Amino acid sequence: MAAVAASIPPQWYLLLAAGVFCIGLFGILTRSDALYFLMSVELMMNAANINFVAFSLYYGDLTGQVFALFVIALAAAEVAIGIGIILVLYRNFGDIDVTVPTEMRW
Amino acid sequence: MVDAFAYVPAVVLLPFFSFLVALGAGKYLPKGGAFGGIAATAGSFLLSLWIATAVAGGRAYDETLYTWAAGDQFELTFGALIDPLSALMLVIVTLVALLVHVFSLGYMNDEGETGLPRYYAGLGLFTASMLGFVVADNLLMAFMFFELVGLCSYLLIGFHFREPGPPSAAKKAFLVTRFGDYFFLVGVVAVFATFGTAAFAGEGSFPALAEAALAGDQAVWTPGGLDVMTWFTVVGLLVLGGVVGKSAQFPLHTWLPDAMEGPTPVSALIHAATMVAAGVYLVARMYGFYALTPTTLAVIAFIGGFTALFAATMGVVKDELKQVLAYSTISQYGYMMLALGAGGYVAAVFHLTTHAFFKALLFLGAGSVIIAMHHNEDMWDMGGLKARMPVTYYTFLAGSLALAGIFPFAGFWSKDEILYEALVHGLNEPLLLGGYAMGLLAVPVTAFYTFRMVFLTFHGEPRTDLAADPEPVRWNVKGPLTVLGSLAVVTGLINMVPVQKVLGLEGIDYLHRWLDNEWGGIDGLSSHHYADLGPYSSGYIAGGEVPTVLVGAAVSLGLALAGLGLAWRLYNVASPTEHTAKLGGIKDVLYNNYYLDELQVWIAYRTEDIAGGADTFDQGIIDGVVNGVSSVSLAGGSRVRRIQTGLVSQYAAMLTLGLIALLVLIGVNGGWFL
Amino acid sequence: MILEALIGFTFLAALLVLLAPNAWAGRLAFALSTVPFVGSLYLWSRFDAVGNALTGGTIAFESRYEWVEVGGRTVSWFVGLDGISLPLVVLTTFLVPLAILSAWTPVDTRQSQFYGLMLFMEANLLGVFTALDFFLWFVFWEAVLVPMYFLIGVWGGPRRKYAAIKFFVYTNAASLLMFIGFMSLTFALGDSIGSLALPEITQAIADGGLETWFGLSPGRIAMVAFLATFAGFAVKVPIVPFHTWLPDAHVEAPTPVSVLLAGVLLKMGTYALLRFNFTMLPEQASALAVPIAAIAVISVIYGAMLALAQKDLKRIVAYSSVSSMGYVILGLVVFTEYGVGGATFQMVAHGLISGLMFMAVGVVYNATHTRMVGDMAGMADRMPVTVGILVAGAFGYMGLPLMAGFAGEFFIFVGAFGAPSLPYAPVFTALAMFGIVIVAGYLLSAMQKTLFGPFRLETDYEIGRAPFHDVAPLAVLLAAIVVLGVAPDLFFEMIRDAAMPVVEGVSVDV
Repeated sequence: MAAVAASIPPQWYLLLAAGVFCIGLFGILTRSDALYFLMSVELMMNAANINFVAFSLYYGDLTGQVFALFVIALAAAEVAIGIGIILVLYRNFGDIDVTVPTEMRW
Repeated sequence: MVDAFAYVPAVVLLPFFSFLVALGAGKYLPKGGAFGGIAATAGSFLLSLWIATAVAGGRAYDETLYTWAAGDQFELTFGALIDPLSALMLVIVTLVALLVHVFSLGYMNDEGETGLPRYYAGLGLFTASMLGFVVADNLLMAFMFFELVGLCSYLLIGFHFREPGPPSAAKKAFLVTRFGDYFFLVGVVAVFATFGTAAFAGEGSFPALAEAALAGDQAVWTPGGLDVMTWFTVVGLLVLGGVVGKSAQFPLHTWLPDAMEGPTPVSALIHAATMVAAGVYLVARMYGFYALTPTTLAVIAFIGGFTALFAATMGVVKDELKQVLAYSTISQYGYMMLALGAGGYVAAVFHLTTHAFFKALLFLGAGSVIIAMHHNEDMWDMGGLKARMPVTYYTFLAGSLALAGIFPFAGFWSKDEILYEALVHGLNEPLLLGGYAMGLLAVPVTAFYTFRMVFLTFHGEPRTDLAADPEPVRWNVKGPLTVLGSLAVVTGLINMVPVQKVLGLEGIDYLHRWLDNEWGGIDGLSSHHYADLGPYSSGYIAGGEVPTVLVGAAVSLGLALAGLGLAWRLYNVASPTEHTAKLGGIKDVLYNNYYLDELQVWIAYRTEDIAGGADTFDQGIIDGVVNGVSSVSLAGGSRVRRIQTGLVSQYAAMLTLGLIALLVLIGVNGGWFL
Repeated sequence: MILEALIGFTFLAALLVLLAPNAWAGRLAFALSTVPFVGSLYLWSRFDAVGNALTGGTIAFESRYEWVEVGGRTVSWFVGLDGISLPLVVLTTFLVPLAILSAWTPVDTRQSQFYGLMLFMEANLLGVFTALDFFLWFVFWEAVLVPMYFLIGVWGGPRRKYAAIKFFVYTNAASLLMFIGFMSLTFALGDSIGSLALPEITQAIADGGLETWFGLSPGRIAMVAFLATFAGFAVKVPIVPFHTWLPDAHVEAPTPVSVLLAGVLLKMGTYALLRFNFTMLPEQASALAVPIAAIAVISVIYGAMLALAQKDLKRIVAYSSVSSMGYVILGLVVFTEYGVGGATFQMVAHGLISGLMFMAVGVVYNATHTRMVGDMAGMADRMPVTVGILVAGAFGYMGLPLMAGFAGEFFIFVGAFGAPSLPYAPVFTALAMFGIVIVAGYLLSAMQKTLFGPFRLETDYEIGRAPFHDVAPLAVLLAAIVVLGVAPDLFFEMIRDAAMPVVEGVSVDV
């Protein structure tokens, strides 16, 4: 296990994470659908998780993996709340387009 | 043996208590509290007489009674100073105040005025303030009571506050005298800063310190290292500002004729014994200081002489009884100032005394006529009152003869002495001689307007129904008139200097001896001491003292008789006519008081314009900047908040852009791209 | 403990009144507010301070508890009184019950909140005048603004929001400036202070504890601190040209709030100037003596001229407050016994007199519903007692002798005229003194137009005499003014005692 890990340099993990992050970011910047938003945010967090785990392996320190677990738990909670918000959004505006609700801007 | 001086505070406090009683309980008392005032002033009068006897018994009194503020720098105190001058003044003030209180019973109560408690409260406070001023032993205390006198004049002149005129006159009186008092206050502060004390009498008093400083024996503070003499002159002139205001000297005399809006007894009190007298009394009180600075004396003399003539000319054309008397007051106080400036300390006090009696008499007489005429004051509506009100007529005549300076009435002696002093000292002093000339010129004018007034009011035929059937006056009017009438005849006897000089009788110049501490007094406050300090030497005309006395008296009496004769010719006819038209354009100038009132009104309006400009500046520029700052922030905020679109995608884009910008910045700094 | 009890009781009273029903909140508030007054009289009777609290004098009723430590500086609950603060404490506790009484007639909505806020403000004001720790003092200083904001903004006149926001933002921005200035001073003191206690800071500065900080030399830093704090307090006082919030606030504020605003809140500014600028940094103050004296004179004359131009009675009194505060600044800057002492005395005197004026104008307003000079005439005919007291108060304002205002002004003048530390002192003093003529001018003409002459006012109801509870506070205030005018040493003695160390802090080369 350690041999396999050692054979893959950490740059690869970082590149993968950056790729996943950029996909998530692209999704947020281009879409206006709240569900897409939620999924994109999920992707970005997973990119961070990849980094945590990779460095945990690289340094042989479990802290990163623990953090990754926290983030996963947090993401689950976030999805629950996020879906709730989306439902309310739909109920109030008849749409889940995030550009529609602008009541509170100024 | 009870010490009379222990009762000095009581002299002041008795009228003050009558003020409190009238204010608090006046409406429950009979006559609106008048009896309280009469009792209080009578008590003060008796105490004053007792105090005067004590002074005559060879004693004097100078005590600090109350410490107002006990600083290390200066100690500010109240005290009483009883010397011949203040003892004399106490008697005059309390006597006149007493008579005015009695007279008010006839003038106010019998006429059914409302607000009597307020009136008697005002009279009580007025008397108390003046008495406090008279006994003051230092300049600060004098200033404080001087101001209170001003307050009381405001309250009493504006007594009929429901009419438009009196409040306006009251405002003017307070404001014009306040303008003078401003200089006085600067003077008081300057005296403290210079000498560290403001006491009138004693070793450490400020006149004594000033004397020592001029002799070089004492170091005093002067601003910017100014020459001591110059600075003393400045201080003297500053204090003089208050005197000019209160004693209604040119150019601050304009309030006084307007002050005739007040009830007539109040006018009597103001003119004879309290407010207007306060100015002259103040100069006399600190004469030891004024005598040191020749310039100040010359200014005093010149202002006095000029005012004497100036005011007299305006009195000539007035139609209202009280107006004529008002200008005569200004003129007479001008004489006193002339005397003080000319080194005639005793002459000034003498005239102050005689004038107090005959002017109170004239005002109360005028009040009696006004009662009779149902408050019509126009002399052209009178005439022929002589037969119908004999007591008023004869007392008024006595007062008029005194005012005109006809031998042997009181005014003759005092005015003659003033002119004599001005002449003998003025022969070496051109400015003083100018004052003398103006004073002399005023003599016939005074006699003329006085008798114009007498003839128009009392002689000839009644010109209206009112004058034909005047309302009778009671004992409370006639009583005071009789007392004052007798005094106007005999007061001259207290100081018959010319008789003494001409006949060589020794010792009948009682007032001279009184003020020279011959019986009792305080060192440094005697007329001899003042004469020693003063800059004047005497010169004589016609070869000696006695001829000078005779010539001077003859000239002034001759001029007075000439004025009287002219008035007789013009106005002592059955139905006199106005001769003022013959004066042409001058009449308008005189009638409008040389347009000085207009000038002061103009100044007041220009001040308001400046204030309006300041307000515009304040609202526009200063507050404009403040509001501008707020508008700019608000406008800026409403622009900047447009960034907050409410679109989550845009926020995310911004976040991304920010991240990229940050990365680039760090990258450039870290040299990643090199 | 007694000071804690005083402040704490007032806070509790505020809370209690806040919870009381509107119907009797006013009576309850008045009853409760008399307790601090009695307490302050007790303080007065037991007062035993010697010298100035900041310069090492004995502090009366001193009590100190350490609280927290911030950046190596102990912040403590530190309160006490000396001859400068006691008169102001008495003034505050004296004015508040009277102001509450004067609110019974005009305040007719949300009474419990109104009176609660009044008491809350009193508690904070007492804190300002007793606190001897900078942090504590600053908390109270800022907390005063909050009730004031609501009192103007909720119960005020038509433009109340504008006035309230202007007041709050202006004075708060000034507080920020002052805070920065003072904090830079404490940082520059470095290790020479271990707490934010004012006496300690004063001592440290006097002992030369200032170090170079932020690239600024000690002298420079002291000057910067002086200017920043001076500007900050100048808004509060207010000094021209930072005065424009005052007339707006006064015109919109209800009568009792105006009374406290003019009577006590302005004194916070002058009190702070005396405590901070003139006691802690006397060198800088005397270095800047000429410009400060110049703006003092400008405040006097300019404020008086503005008052002359006004038509609203409250605006007249408001601008004349600017004028009167100018005297206080002049008194402070000359560094003489009578100057500094007179300035402090004038704070109390002006507090009483301006309180009386606002209250009396308020009573007239209750009846007429207008304050404009041209709208009414001859009020003396209908409200003789009120007008009588108003006239007396106006004369007090003009500096009539034997009333408190004259004592304060005269002390300042006599202290300033020959002051060795101020160049051209006689000129400045004489110019400032001309204010007494202008003040007479505008007050007399306003009185003549509104109070005297034939009665004229267009109303559809009859105007009668004011109720007893409106007139009684006026009479009490007038009595206090006369008592202080006749016997200024009641306060002036202790004020002098506390002012002398400040004066001696300035060495003068004659």
